[in-house]
Amino acid sequence: MAKSNQIRRIFFAEDNVADVVLVREALERQSLNCELTAYPNAQAAILAAERCGTDGYPVPDLMLVDLNLPWGHGCDVLAAAARNPALNSVRKAVLSSFVGSPSDVEKARRLGATGFIMKPANLEEFLDDVGRQIARLLESSSAASQ
Amino acid sequence: MKSAASASLSNAHAPALRPEKVKILAVDDDRDNLLALQAILEPLQQDLMLAESGTDALRLCLDHDFAAILLDVRMPELDGFETAELIRSRKRSLHTPILFLTAYRSDEQLFRGYDLGAVDFLFKPIVPEVLQSKVNVFVQLSWSELLVRRQAEELARTERTFRAVLEGAPDAMVITSTTGEIQLVNSRTDTMFGHSREALLGTNIRNLIPEWTCPELISGGIAMLRGAPETRLPATRKDGSNFPAEITCSPFGVAEGYLVTTAIRDATTQVEAEERITRINQELEKRVAERTVELTRSNEALRQFAWAASHDLQEPIRTVLSYSQWLSQSITNELDEKQLIMLRFIEQHASRMHQLAGGLQQYIVASEAGQQAWTSVDCNLVLKTVLSTLQENIKESGAVIECDHLPVILSIEVLLVQLFKNLISNGIKYRSSQTPRIHISSLRGEDGWVFSVRDNGLGIEPKYFDYIFGVFKRLHAVDHSGTGIGLAICKAAVERLGGRIWLESAPGSGSVFYFCHPDLAHGEIESDTSNLLR
Repeated sequence: MAKSNQIRRIFFAEDNVADVVLVREALERQSLNCELTAYPNAQAAILAAERCGTDGYPVPDLMLVDLNLPWGHGCDVLAAAARNPALNSVRKAVLSSFVGSPSDVEKARRLGATGFIMKPANLEEFLDDVGRQIARLLESSSAASQ
Repeated sequence: MKSAASASLSNAHAPALRPEKVKILAVDDDRDNLLALQAILEPLQQDLMLAESGTDALRLCLDHDFAAILLDVRMPELDGFETAELIRSRKRSLHTPILFLTAYRSDEQLFRGYDLGAVDFLFKPIVPEVLQSKVNVFVQLSWSELLVRRQAEELARTERTFRAVLEGAPDAMVITSTTGEIQLVNSRTDTMFGHSREALLGTNIRNLIPEWTCPELISGGIAMLRGAPETRLPATRKDGSNFPAEITCSPFGVAEGYLVTTAIRDATTQVEAEERITRINQELEKRVAERTVELTRSNEALRQFAWAASHDLQEPIRTVLSYSQWLSQSITNELDEKQLIMLRFIEQHASRMHQLAGGLQQYIVASEAGQQAWTSVDCNLVLKTVLSTLQENIKESGAVIECDHLPVILSIEVLLVQLFKNLISNGIKYRSSQTPRIHISSLRGEDGWVFSVRDNGLGIEPKYFDYIFGVFKRLHAVDHSGTGIGLAICKAAVERLGGRIWLESAPGSGSVFYFCHPDLAHGEIESDTSNLLR
């Protein structure tokens, strides 16, 4: 109970604003008290990942990264996060419209991604499944950090 | 002596020569003596001619060649010695053996006779056996002489033939010793090299063909020479210019040892033609290589484009789909019938677009020369995975799936999953009014496994058998949820696995899809993947 009241920070590298809105809606359905920060391209996300842990850039509870981003690739963002010690214990997940090529998935896994969420085409599935999976990742992440 | 001579003759050439009678001349002024001689020589069965005087004998010698002349010494007018002298003075009868018949054993006579070229004396009274035997020796001698003459003629003819062949040859022919000293050349050699024939004799063939070597000598003891195969060596003309020559050396034995015939052919045109062919081939190879690079590049570009297109299309269309659903959820109550239909169309087609893009992506995965590894795959487990992903469809349609025990094969698992998933879901999707029944089985064929997926669905007309394997080819209207890419994915996957896909079907009686899959041993993968992944 205390957990859900606590504000959880989610770092979201996603260029499709429509998906950001859908994720927000999904989080709302899960009654999660979240602060979702979306970065619309790879460069913005990399910069943010490098600064996390410094003044004015709090360490998030979860990093969600879309693999297909303009000005770079989701894996570049994961690589930047892997270089930042402040993000060591933060749970990282890939949120993509498709599972991606096997090599991309493998690369993301090596760079520290432990969750893989597929964006469903169906609205209800999106709102329910994605919300539930994010909630689960947040839970396991807080369990890990405690 | 007699027997030895006749034996060697009869052995060698007697059959050819025997029929020819040899002429023998008997000269005696006494007719009785002549008759006696005739009687004695009868058994020799030769052609005996008779002369009663030296003059007659000389006349006969003008027209005939005799193997021997039996000459009586004592005759009126011309006596035997005088006759012999005259016979000897003629060229034709210079060497005709003469036997003198005489009653006197005087040394003077003997000397005179031998002086005149007599080969023998026979003393009267004549002993028939002795005469027969002596004359027979001359008969044999005459045969030998004839034989030798014929052989000489034959030899001359052979020599003429040889010369004709040599001169008529299209090649320059040079006959040399084994050290290369030129003994004989044909006229073609003059024209080819510009040297006169006389100038070449005695010089070394290496002046013409600097790299000339004598054909290999096999086992020195037996001194056998083996003809060298045709080789191409540079040749030098008198003016110092060079040309490529095709050379064949063949040795032959002569009394003094071995000679070598070297046939030389000007290969200039041939070399030019060869060079032209080589040049054309190189040019061709270069062009093929360039074209291949171009094709590889455009293939790669196309692949990337298809991949990006399928992927990038999926993203916006998914958004359209989600939001149209959201919109219809939030405002359903405010819309009239027509507006609802409009919204449903948007949803339907966005959904279909999304499926198409997804299918295209799968197709690219199936056909791409990808990184998926060949491993040992248990087809039973593959089927289990497939059936669990199709769970909803199976439950909803009430389909009955039967599956024989399947083998464990060396394959690419992802592709097998796609294959079975598409074939089974097609069987469910295109069902008839009956409960869908799908049977999966496998059979060990001649060059691999043959898998079959049998359904009791709508069936397909044979004329569409090829059509249905094309990308985005559909036989049914949009309301059947197919994307028209499932079978194209199957075909691409099977082909990448080195197999083939086909079907048996008729409208109303279901379909059986077969695909064969090579049965590779582990060792074969390395060599085979290059083919399969091409």
